[in-house]
Amino acid sequence: MSQLLQQLVLGLLLGGVYVSVALGFSLVWGILNIVNLAHGAFVIIGAYITWVLFSRLGVDPFLSLPVDALVLFALGYGLQRGLINRVIRAPLLFTFLLTFGINLVIVSLLLLIFSPDFRSVTPRYSGSGLSLGSVTIPYIGLARLGIAMLLALVLWFVLNRTRIGAGIQAVGADRDAAQLVGIDLRHVYALTFAIGAAFAGVAGGLIGLQQSITPTAGDPFTLQSFAVVILGGLGRVSATIAGGLLFGLIQVLGLNAPGLGAGYSNAIAFAVLVVVLAFRPQGLLGRLA
Amino acid sequence: MDMKGKLRVTLVASAMLATACGGAATTPSPSIGSTLVIGSAISLTGSQAKEGNLAKQGYDLWYDWIQAQGGITVNGVKHPVSLIYEDDQSKPDLSATLLEKLITAEHAQFILGPYGSAATATDAVIAEKDGIPMVEANGAAQAIFSKGYKYTFGVLSPANKYLTGVIDMAATLSPKPTTVAMLSANDNFSVEVAKAVVDYAPSKGMQVVFNKTYPAAAPDVSGLLSQVKPLNPDIILNSGHLAEAIAINKAAKDLNINAKIFAYSVGPSTPDFVDALGKDANFVYDGSQWTPQVKYSPQFYLSVNQYVLAYKTKYNATAAPDYHVAESTAACLALQKAMENAKSLDPAKVRDALASLDVMTFFGEIKFDSRGINVFKPMVVEQIQGGVHYTVFPPDVANGQPQYPTPAWSQR
Amino acid sequence: MTQRFRPPATALRRLFVGGAAIALVYVVLAPLSSTDAGQQLGLPFLTDRLWFRVATTVAMFVVLASAWNIIGGLTGYASFGNVAFFGLGAYTTGVLVSLRQWPFGLALLLAPVVPALFALVIGIPLLRLHGHYFAVASLGVGVAVGEVVNNLQPLGASTGLFLPIVRSNLLFFYLMLAAAALAVLVTWVILHTRFGYGLLAIRENEEAAAVIGVNTTFYKVAALMIAAALTGLAGGIFAQWNTFINQENVFPIEYNVEMILMAVLGGAGTLLGPVAGAVTLELVILRLAGGGAAAAYSQIGLGVLLAVTVIFLPRGVIDFFGGQSRLSLWALRRSLRETSV
Repeated sequence: MSQLLQQLVLGLLLGGVYVSVALGFSLVWGILNIVNLAHGAFVIIGAYITWVLFSRLGVDPFLSLPVDALVLFALGYGLQRGLINRVIRAPLLFTFLLTFGINLVIVSLLLLIFSPDFRSVTPRYSGSGLSLGSVTIPYIGLARLGIAMLLALVLWFVLNRTRIGAGIQAVGADRDAAQLVGIDLRHVYALTFAIGAAFAGVAGGLIGLQQSITPTAGDPFTLQSFAVVILGGLGRVSATIAGGLLFGLIQVLGLNAPGLGAGYSNAIAFAVLVVVLAFRPQGLLGRLA
Repeated sequence: MDMKGKLRVTLVASAMLATACGGAATTPSPSIGSTLVIGSAISLTGSQAKEGNLAKQGYDLWYDWIQAQGGITVNGVKHPVSLIYEDDQSKPDLSATLLEKLITAEHAQFILGPYGSAATATDAVIAEKDGIPMVEANGAAQAIFSKGYKYTFGVLSPANKYLTGVIDMAATLSPKPTTVAMLSANDNFSVEVAKAVVDYAPSKGMQVVFNKTYPAAAPDVSGLLSQVKPLNPDIILNSGHLAEAIAINKAAKDLNINAKIFAYSVGPSTPDFVDALGKDANFVYDGSQWTPQVKYSPQFYLSVNQYVLAYKTKYNATAAPDYHVAESTAACLALQKAMENAKSLDPAKVRDALASLDVMTFFGEIKFDSRGINVFKPMVVEQIQGGVHYTVFPPDVANGQPQYPTPAWSQR
Repeated sequence: MTQRFRPPATALRRLFVGGAAIALVYVVLAPLSSTDAGQQLGLPFLTDRLWFRVATTVAMFVVLASAWNIIGGLTGYASFGNVAFFGLGAYTTGVLVSLRQWPFGLALLLAPVVPALFALVIGIPLLRLHGHYFAVASLGVGVAVGEVVNNLQPLGASTGLFLPIVRSNLLFFYLMLAAAALAVLVTWVILHTRFGYGLLAIRENEEAAAVIGVNTTFYKVAALMIAAALTGLAGGIFAQWNTFINQENVFPIEYNVEMILMAVLGGAGTLLGPVAGAVTLELVILRLAGGGAAAAYSQIGLGVLLAVTVIFLPRGVIDFFGGQSRLSLWALRRSLRETSV
């Protein structure tokens, strides 16, 4: 019983990582209709910034998160304004190609700058946790889940309670109508992409606390974001939260699925995704477009 | 011929190397022969770039030395060496094409292996088809050698030896550990490592209480470790890769799992492991192909100490080279010695010379069984103590005692 | 415009088509010169092992991109699961040859069958999904199948499978070339039959297609099965050619990304677009691969090349050569204006 409880806790904590990683991906996909294959690379840039600040200047990883967000915001704004805006009206697969190219460039640059060495952020309090009976809750995991929820709240607030958010939502709903009422499309596109990138940066800052950072470590995150966003449903913050937490739970519980080896956990996670889609095409909480 | 994209390693001849090789010269003044081309398709970018670059360092160290010698002396003729790399981007399918490119377009006469068991298997097929001898140092899965291929030789101890040494060591400790948990990545190398432990541990009076595989490069291993915790095993073993070794160590601390021995097949020997984990890296064991403390009396090339010094000089490093570097250098040595013994550059003759090779190097004995595996060199066990690697087993090469048992996380 | 003046793009197009035809004839016939008889005659063709390796790889990607085009380009269902068909085809041949000692020829016959049946099973539920949802569901299939195979002991699990070595460059080159020709032929047939019109109708407007009497489920599943069979065939040939197969080799998601890149780059939905895309991109990828210490730079080059191509040729390479005076700066500006904000 406590074994199961421990697994549930770990699943939710892992889910927190997925939520933080997938929020930006979901926003960009839902509003701009761009499947950003460079998303994982953005995450890793954030991770490297945190690592540099931590290892060179001794900045606490949690304090470096705003820096991650700012740098990635600027990068995202520039990329969208300078490059992606040019093909945003082309079919979906073209932005897909473009971001694939951007991903290649970023990963290679990271390799040149940081070498392929494995980096990790291990602050002094790393590894301490809250013991509740036989269940352990690592503080860092808990903080990461908390920050993921905070990010979700911020995103929800920006989208629903600010003028910028209203503009973004309007563009997501109907580009031409939005333009007619005087919204500067280029700016709003770039802003949306920048916010998505900034969220990826913050998620990256949290990643280094748990796993090693290498130039290619971001690729799996793109794949997982894909799955999380679809599992929950496109276009809603709450859906991304549900999708992320569920995906984390499935992965951890999949490690001790009865009758199957733990090696199947990835297969189980993606099989669940397929089944969910077959029965609920809009995802768990999504609205059908 | 097209020279673009081709990397010729720059000739760096340090005075230290020149003196070190004084005794190796054979004939007084051999004539200079044709340049001998050796190729390797190795992971310089992609997910295995770290390990691939370590292997390249090992190859380059030998290259510098042999160039300082003026080349390989074959039948009284000195052949300068050209060492050409292609980057396989950590993709095994690309490795095959690049190997073909090296052999055909770059006229590589001999091949040094890639990094990883999957790429090694792919390259072994090409070497076999083309009849080009390949000496590899970074693919320990024995499956590669079970197909009767004649042109592939591995200088490293096979996968099944990686962690059995830890079991041997554990059997000598007191209080003797009795239970083992084995976590392994689901790839051909790691599964062989795990299987060997599961087969071997009972013969030393240890019971394997947990044995599971996880998907290679798993994002999160804490779920698996939480299953281990209630079993409270004395020994936690991992066969996998550097990233997972770091993740498992972090997760063990997170979950406050206190085993008497933590040992991982790949990872702790690299400086990255200590850098990434800091103090938490202490007390961790690993099964190592080689350590700077081994005491072999080499018949040629450098002594162990000279080798470590050459590495530190060339790469401006404070830490000693890890075993990935050393085993890669050893592959070059095997190839060199085989050519010298064959007194010919004919691929078939060099292959035969490899098959009958028996030579002592700084890396240990290099000798291949009928499959092409070096089963004759023992592995050693290392432990990280105070951020420094110590060889702790077997006792005849050890320069430290195992710090045992590993203290609980709360008491470090 | 005078009689003698020809718009540059038309001239360029003729040049391109003529060049491509000559190149094709060379590619088909040149390997014969590598036989002993040809060698003795001293024919001036350089067809060494590398040439075969590259040519066979390129032909393989022609199959993959053309097959993807049938479901992704013609039907409008962007599949990220085609790599599962490739892997299943490879494993079908692999298991039969390596574990059951079937002759390769016989085993190859089943390589398209197993993936096609699998496509039938997953196609019926999944092709009800649209757009992104289908893309991700098929991605899930692609990942899950590879992971399952990597765990199944009867299939060699993570150790992979070794097939007996077959030492023939000619055999695999012509097999793969035949598969590529078959893929193009199948696409041509589809484009010139009712079936093809049905697929295009589905792509343009699925509801409307249903209204005018297209059995959309049947059409979509059939298209997926055809794509699966062709992809599986290529996988089956690859297994014997490469001799060693495991999850990393035959289920890489990058293959799937590459087929899409090729089809889209060349012009999705056209007959020869995927062929042009596959030949161009694979040659560029192989050209840039390797590169020793400059490896990271060649990756950057590939990335920049992709970005530039997408931005300046947003309708694909084929369209670039086939369109009317597309080459002018004016046309470039116009196409940019159409696709940007």
